[in-house]
Amino acid sequence: MPEVFIDGKRYEFEGKPMLLQFILDQGLEVPFFCYHPAMSIPANCRQCMVKVGTPVKDRETGEFEHDENGDRKIRWFPNPQTSCSTPLQDGMVVHTQETSEEVARAQKDNLEFILVNHPLDCPICDQAGECPLQIQTYKYGPEGSRFEVKKVHKPKRVELGPRVTMDAERCINCTRCVRFTEEISETNQLTIVQRGDDNYPQTAAGEEFDDPYSMNTVDICPVGALTSTDFRFKARVWEMNQTPSIDITNGKGCNVDLWTRDNEVLRITPRENDEVNDYWMPDAGREAYKLFNENRADRPSIKLDGDNQSNTSWNNAIETFAEVLDAHEADDILTVGSPHASVEENFAFNKFFNLLGSSNAKFTPDVIPGAGDDFLITDDQAPNTNGCRAINLDEADSNSLQSAVSGAKVVIILSDDLVGREVLSAADLNDSYTISFATNENDTTNVSDLVIPITCIAEHAASYVNVDGRIQRSYPAKETKYTNRRLNLEMSEGRLDRYGTNFDNWVSEENKVDCLPVWQFLNKLAERINLDFSYNHSRDVFADISEQFDMLSDISYERMDEENGVQLPIKQEEVKQA
Amino acid sequence: MAELSFTEEELKEIEQLKAKFPTAKAATLQVLWVAQRKYGHVEPEVQNLVAETLDVPKSHVHGVASFYTQYYKEEKGKFVLDVCTCLSCQLCGGYDILHHLEEKLGIEAGETTDDGMFSIQSVECLGACGYAPMLQVTNGVYVNNLTKEKVDTLIDNLKNGKMPEFESMAMPELEKRNQAASE
Ligand code: SF4
Ligand code: FES
Ligand code: FES
Repeated sequence: MPEVFIDGKRYEFEGKPMLLQFILDQGLEVPFFCYHPAMSIPANCRQCMVKVGTPVKDRETGEFEHDENGDRKIRWFPNPQTSCSTPLQDGMVVHTQETSEEVARAQKDNLEFILVNHPLDCPICDQAGECPLQIQTYKYGPEGSRFEVKKVHKPKRVELGPRVTMDAERCINCTRCVRFTEEISETNQLTIVQRGDDNYPQTAAGEEFDDPYSMNTVDICPVGALTSTDFRFKARVWEMNQTPSIDITNGKGCNVDLWTRDNEVLRITPRENDEVNDYWMPDAGREAYKLFNENRADRPSIKLDGDNQSNTSWNNAIETFAEVLDAHEADDILTVGSPHASVEENFAFNKFFNLLGSSNAKFTPDVIPGAGDDFLITDDQAPNTNGCRAINLDEADSNSLQSAVSGAKVVIILSDDLVGREVLSAADLNDSYTISFATNENDTTNVSDLVIPITCIAEHAASYVNVDGRIQRSYPAKETKYTNRRLNLEMSEGRLDRYGTNFDNWVSEENKVDCLPVWQFLNKLAERINLDFSYNHSRDVFADISEQFDMLSDISYERMDEENGVQLPIKQEEVKQA
Repeated sequence: MAELSFTEEELKEIEQLKAKFPTAKAATLQVLWVAQRKYGHVEPEVQNLVAETLDVPKSHVHGVASFYTQYYKEEKGKFVLDVCTCLSCQLCGGYDILHHLEEKLGIEAGETTDDGMFSIQSVECLGACGYAPMLQVTNGVYVNNLTKEKVDTLIDNLKNGKMPEFESMAMPELEKRNQAASE
């Protein structure tokens, strides 16, 4: 197998890897800016320089030539090479900054050049703390600069588009953002204008950067030149905790990170998963953080007189719920599951009412034909349509759900704004007693007689099956009134050495929503009506699911964690129209 | 601005230009020239016309047009004086020449005189470092080895509608070498 020697150590390689990527794959480091594994290689930042040589071979015999010590003779490239664009060759010898003074010096001087016109405004820059330029300057850069002349000024606070704000002075012209619009989103909206030390990215005159994937450029910009207009100046990176999760705004299930501080989700960024979304996500998915913080169903509420809802206690909610169940036959009760809720929630919900004699819950997919593209935006507006199918819920279109509702005396809805998305009208629910389990207030909760507030994806561990049949799960990222990050071992606690101090990421106990996971509420209800139903954790719910459904029999949270989600043997059929 | 368009004839010319290159994108520079010849500038609307005609991204044409000082991104005066302030010219007094011109015409680099006669631009190396400092008139003739007096004469001549002549510049070193070779 071909071999390469990096900093005196031998590695074997296959295929035709580029040197930089190969070095990174070994867990080693060489500083770089413009290279991005998902895009073409322009080699324009010049930061990734290393010293490279190839062994000298005797032309006749093809044998390696050796020096008097018996070592292979190496022909060094005359200058340092950009490792991002250097293909590996058999026998190649490489020195990085770790073993070559010359390379360390080249990298250091290159950084001095890159910083000639950089404003060095890290203290007020959003990127500080997650900035490749800042990090690599600390590690490999010069202490000072010999360029003590006035810096070139360029446009600042430019609204490149509705969601991206640019500070051209910070730009190092790596062209990652431009290549993103050319190669990944294919809108070609950006270009580099001007030249020399005047240049920066721009749209064509009269156009704006309204690419539905525009905010990915904020993530890949290796400096603070492109920032999220929404998130600007909201928080320093190190003040937030980062929790893996899933995008719930469409059916693709893009892997994301939720960034929280004081029990509020402040931003959502994509998390790499080659099988689903690579490094990217649609801008729309990032807006979802608002759903987790604002307009939440907080404390149960009940309709007492006429149409006025008022908050009530959990005890009262359970009592009311129990009375309603008591007063009706199983046949009079219609249960509606939800493609917007997780597999565990749907299963626990369905099982509870199955135990009471109801037939399987119905659900209505939330699909807008034509809304999707061939990339990461899907027609399916819900994260778990296939999950509802996997546990055999009863798929119903709008019409058949309407007629089912009209025949029912009690309608129990799991986390789905059926009125808001016009599957049902408010009038359809007039004649029945309507109970909604809901994360947020919406048109459906407004017309419900009893609203049970439940945890959202940011507050529980649960799994979702995307349009392609891949099951992936979330982790709790923020506390509710009844959870505690110390006791919930799945929660990221922030830095332990700061726990409980003024420097903790949680300095406020505010922003906790008064809600329960569906299964926990059902536990309490079961206790009240003497039903044999109890789940301590979504893991227990999932264990039951795996036992019951063949397709999920060898799936577990551990497997989903290890494999970054698991592909189920689901035919990748089009999600049918509701 | 009214709807812009190329005439049949211009479109034919553009087709011929395109045929010379492997991709339409590669013809951008040439077609920008066609447009600038027609309109006297390549303002954003003109850039977009070029992009549409070539069926390449508007952003691409914008980037190319903005790269070169030779393309006028706004209406310019009758004579555009591109004063080189790049390294060699700078060392030989390029900025003195620029400032002299600015004072003389009462405008700054990047501006146009009220009568629409002159625009001044400060530009990068025009490849005539051997005769620095120098300037170029409206993407055409070079005026070399500038002095303030030479600039004054140039302006007077231009005002009278007299363009400077093309100057064949001697390359002393090269001549010496050629001579040595022939001996
Ligand atoms: S804005 Fe950022 S991503 Fe775009 S070229 Fe500049 S440094 Fe690179
Ligand atoms: S990463 Fe290699 S030149 Fe930029
Ligand atoms: S520096 Fe002026 S022509 Fe080269």
